[in-house]
Amino acid sequence: MKYRLVSGLETHVELATATKIFCGCTTAFGGEPNTHCCPVCTGQPGALPVLNKKVVEYAIRAGLATHCTINTTTHLDRKNYCYPDLPKAYQISQFDKPLCEHGYVELESGKRIGITRIHIEEDAGKLVHESGYTFVDYNRGGVPLIEIVSEPDISSPEEAKEYVEKLQLIIRYIGVSDCKMQEGSMRCDVNISVMPEGAAQFGTRTEIKNMNSISYIEKAMAYEYSRQIEVIEGGGKIVQATLRYDERTGETSVMRTKEDAQDYRYFPEPDILTVVIPEEKVEEIRASLPELPTDKLHRYIDELHINPATAKLLYKYKRVCDFAEEAISLGAGVKNTVNLIVGTLYSKLVTEEDKEKFALPVSAEEMAKLVKLADGSKINITLAQKTLSAMAEEGKPVSHYIKEEDLQGVDEGQLESICRQAVEANPAAVADFKAGKEKAIFALYGFVKKATQGKADIKKADEIIKRLIK
Amino acid sequence: MSVTQKEIKTLARLSRLEFSDGEIEKFAPEFEEIIDFANTINAQVEGDTGSIREVVARTVKWEDLREDVVKESLPNEKITSNVQAENGYFPVRRVVK
Amino acid sequence: MRSVISQLSKKLSGGELTSVELTERYIAAIEKRNPQLNAYVHYTFDEARKNAEQADKLIKAGKATPLTGIPFTLKDNIATDGLPTTCCSIILQGFKPYYDATVWAKLKAQGAVLLGKTNMDEFAMGSTCEKSCYGAALNPVDNSRVTGGSSGGGAAAVCANLAAYALGSDTGGSIRQPASFCGVVGFKPTYGAVSRYGLIAYGSSLDQIGPMTHSVTDAAIVYDAIRGEDRADGTSCPTPQGKTQLKGDIKGLKIGVAQEFFEGISPEIKGAIDNMLAEYERAGAQIVEVSIPALKLALPVYYIIACAEASSNLGRYDGIRYGFRAENYTSVDDMITKTRTQGFGKEVKKRIMLGTYVLSSGYFDAYYKKACLIRKTVESQLAQAFEKCGVLFAPTAPVTAFPVGYSGGNAVETYLSDVCTVPVNIAGLPAISIPCGTDKKGMPIGMQIIGKKFDDALVLDTAYFAERENISRAAQVKGGVEL
Repeated sequence: MKYRLVSGLETHVELATATKIFCGCTTAFGGEPNTHCCPVCTGQPGALPVLNKKVVEYAIRAGLATHCTINTTTHLDRKNYCYPDLPKAYQISQFDKPLCEHGYVELESGKRIGITRIHIEEDAGKLVHESGYTFVDYNRGGVPLIEIVSEPDISSPEEAKEYVEKLQLIIRYIGVSDCKMQEGSMRCDVNISVMPEGAAQFGTRTEIKNMNSISYIEKAMAYEYSRQIEVIEGGGKIVQATLRYDERTGETSVMRTKEDAQDYRYFPEPDILTVVIPEEKVEEIRASLPELPTDKLHRYIDELHINPATAKLLYKYKRVCDFAEEAISLGAGVKNTVNLIVGTLYSKLVTEEDKEKFALPVSAEEMAKLVKLADGSKINITLAQKTLSAMAEEGKPVSHYIKEEDLQGVDEGQLESICRQAVEANPAAVADFKAGKEKAIFALYGFVKKATQGKADIKKADEIIKRLIK
Repeated sequence: MSVTQKEIKTLARLSRLEFSDGEIEKFAPEFEEIIDFANTINAQVEGDTGSIREVVARTVKWEDLREDVVKESLPNEKITSNVQAENGYFPVRRVVK
Repeated sequence: MRSVISQLSKKLSGGELTSVELTERYIAAIEKRNPQLNAYVHYTFDEARKNAEQADKLIKAGKATPLTGIPFTLKDNIATDGLPTTCCSIILQGFKPYYDATVWAKLKAQGAVLLGKTNMDEFAMGSTCEKSCYGAALNPVDNSRVTGGSSGGGAAAVCANLAAYALGSDTGGSIRQPASFCGVVGFKPTYGAVSRYGLIAYGSSLDQIGPMTHSVTDAAIVYDAIRGEDRADGTSCPTPQGKTQLKGDIKGLKIGVAQEFFEGISPEIKGAIDNMLAEYERAGAQIVEVSIPALKLALPVYYIIACAEASSNLGRYDGIRYGFRAENYTSVDDMITKTRTQGFGKEVKKRIMLGTYVLSSGYFDAYYKKACLIRKTVESQLAQAFEKCGVLFAPTAPVTAFPVGYSGGNAVETYLSDVCTVPVNIAGLPAISIPCGTDKKGMPIGMQIIGKKFDDALVLDTAYFAERENISRAAQVKGGVEL
C-alpha cells in the first residue's frame, strides 16, 4: 500500500530586539552566566512583566510577510509547567488569541503551506549539566520568540526543507531575526503522521522536538515516515508521542507519550492588559515591509528580464539585491550589473552567510559608473570584471583603475575602423576563415587587441569583423 | 461532587505537591467541600451564558507598551544573592554518588 | 479619630521632636509589646534608624513631605531590598529580595521610616492571620481574639500604636476586614491606582496595596504618597493630580444600600450601620435602595479566580532561586516536590490544589471560565447600582473578631467571613473600612464605603464626614507609643 506523509511544523524564531520581551535586559548572545538578568526575567517574587512594543511590531511584520490576518485585539496567556529553566513555572505565551492567523508560505511549485498562527512568547533559560551537577543560567530567559505554526500541508521531507528555507528567507528579509538554526535562533518541532493513499482520516501523529538543522529535519522525517509505515504494516498502532531525534544514529526515540502529557492549564495573563493595536499601526508596518523574496524573484524575471537561473542566484540575498537595484536605478544596465555580480563578486562570496552579509567597500554609484562603461563598450567585459574585482578588494573608485585616456578608441566607431584595418592587413587569414578555418579569425582578434591595448570588446569586434568579411 | 483519590493525586502531581495516602484521605472530603462550594456558580447560572453581559475589559494602549531600550541588568552577585551560586550559576541539583 | 500622621509631622517640622527620637520611641514600644501581640515578624530597626537620620536631614533642608520621618510598617509580602520578605511562609525563609517594591521606593524617597515587616496569613491566604508560619497575631483590643486577615499584623501594629500607619494588601478583603476587627481604618484603592510591583502575588487580578491607619485623614495622606501609574506595573493607571481633598461634604450624596450585603449579618453590626446611615441622612445625604442579585455569587467566583491565579503565581517556589530548599532528594523533580510539600502550609496547598483543579483540562469551562463570566455580571450589576448612587454602604465583615482558634473547623464557613469584601475586589473598586462602634463584647465593628472605579477621592471624602463629625472613632489601646 502507498502511504501519504502528512506533516506540520512549529517553528520558533528568536526576535532580533535589543531587549527581552518583558524587561529591559539585553538579548545579546552569550555573556557570563546570569548577567543579563533582573528581577523580572528571573521570576523574583513580586516582579511584573511589561510587554516590549517592538516584539509586537516584529511579530506583526512576520505575520504580514506570511499573508496572515492580524488580531488587533490580542492578549497573553500563561502556560503553566514546572521546569528549572522556567523561573516563574509558567511561560507567558498566547493561547486562544494569537497575534497573527490564517497565512501561508508559497513554495516554488506554487503550492501554499498554510500558516495556522503566529504568536509571541518568552524563551526559557539554559540548563547546564556538568559532571553530575545541574546549573541554570537565565540569560536567555525572557528573550522574545515567535512561534509559527503551519497547517499539516507538508507532504514530503523536500517540502519541509523548502518551507523552512522560505520561512527563513522571509524572516531574514524583513529583518526580525537572523534565523540561525545552529545558534538556536530558529528551531522546529515536526509533527508527522502517515495515512494510506486515498484515506479520509489523518493517522495518529508523533512530534519530533527541537530540530536545529534543515538536513536533520529532512532525515528525521524520512526516518519517521518509514518507521510509522513499518509499524502499521506490521499490524501495530502508532502511539501519540513526543520524540527526539538522534543525530548520530539518525533514529527517533520516545521522550514522552500522551499518558504523561502535560496539562498546561492556560489562562489569561492577569499581569498584562489586553493589547489593542491601532489599524493605522498595522498599515504602517505593512507599508514598511520590503519587497518579499518571491515577489522580487518574479519581478527580476518578468520585468527586468534577468534569466531565471541568474535571478535565483540573486533574490535570496537582500543586501546583494539592494546593491544591484541601486546601481540599476543609477542607470547601469541590468544584464551587465547582474552578470558582473554573479560572475565576479560571487567567486569571493562562497558561503550563504557571505552573501547574506554582503557589503562592498565601494558604493553602488561606483558600480553604476563601471557598468555604464561596459554598457557603452568603452571597456570590455574582461576589463570590467578585473576592475570590479580590484574595487571589491581595494575599495578604490573606478577612476583609480580606468583613466579617461584609456577609454579613447574603443567606442563603436573607432572599433569599426580598427576592425577594417585588421581585415585589410590580414588577407590570408580572411581567406582561410572564409574557406572554413574558423580559428583563422584569431589573427584578426589579435590585431584588434594590440591596436586597442586590450581594451576592445572582442565580442563586439567579432560581430563587426564577420560583418565586414561577408 | 466527588473527587477521586486518583484525581487528587493527579492534581498533586501537577501542583508539585505530595500527599501521603493518609493525608489524601483526610484531604479528600475537605477538598470536595470546597469544590461543592465552587460548584454553586454552576447551580445558579445554569448554562445561561447568553445573558452574561460583557463589561469592557481594560486595555493597554499601543503607546504605553515598553520601548525597546536596554536597561542595565543587575550584577550576578545580586541575581544569585539568595543561593550559594557556583561560578555564577544557580545550582539545581547535586548528585550524591 | 485623630490624624496621627499630621500630629507627628507637625511635631517633627516644628523641631519639637526629631525622627530619630520618634523612631526610638516606636522601637522601644515594639520591643515591649510585640512579643505578646506578634504583629511584627521581622524588625528592621537598623533600616529604621538609617531612614530616620535621613528624614531629619530632609526636614532640616525644608524638603519634608507629610510622611517624612514618620515610622511605619510593611506587610511581609512587600519586597524590601536586602530585608526579609517571607510572606510568613516557610518556603521563603531567609529570602531577601534585591529590589524594592515601588511603594517602598516611593516612601523611602520621602524619608519614611520602616520599622519592620508585619504578620499575615501565609501568602495572604486567610482571614484571621492565624495561618502564618510565625504564629497568629493577636487583636490588641482583646488578646484572646484574632486580628482578622490577612493583613492582621499591620492592623494590630496600628491599633496598638506600634506604627503610625501600615501598608497592607487586599485580595478579597485583607486590608478592610482586619482593619474592622482591630478598629482602625483600612483603605483598598481602585485596582491599578497603586503599583503592585514588588507585591508578592496571590491573585494578580485582585491584589491591591493600600494603607491601614488611625484615621481617614491619614489614609488619604498615605494613599496620595503611594498612588499613581508605574511603568513597572502594566496594570497600574494614572490617578488624579494633586492632594486628595477631604471636606466631608455629603450634602445631596446618594448612598446606596443593597440588601444582598446584609444577608446573614449579625443584628448588632446591622444596627451599627443603620445608625451610621441615619447620621449621614440627617446631614443631607439621601439613602437609596439598590439591588445586586449576583452578589452572592461573588464569593465562589472569588475563590475560583484567586486560587487559579495563585496556583500559577506560586509555581515559582521550587527551591532553586531563593528561599527554602528541602534536603535529601533523588532528582530535580523530587527536590522541587519535597521543597513545596515541606515549604507550604496546609491552607496554601489547599488553594493551590483548587486552583490547579479549576484550570485543568476538562474543568476549565465549568469553573474558571464560568467564574470569569459571572465576574463580569457582578461587575456590571455593581456598575448599574452606581448609576443610582455615588457610594454604597455595607458591613465590612458579617461578624466581629472571633476567638483565636475558633475557625479551625469548616473551611467554607471561614471563607464566608469574606462575603462582604470580595465583591469589591472582583470588580476592582475602591472601598474603605471605618470604625463603626463596637459590639456588646467591646469588639470593633467596621463599615465599608464602596465607590465606583477611580472614585477613590469620593470614598475617602465620604468616610471623612464620619471622622469630622466624630461618629467614627478608632479603637484606643494603651501600651504603644503615647501621642
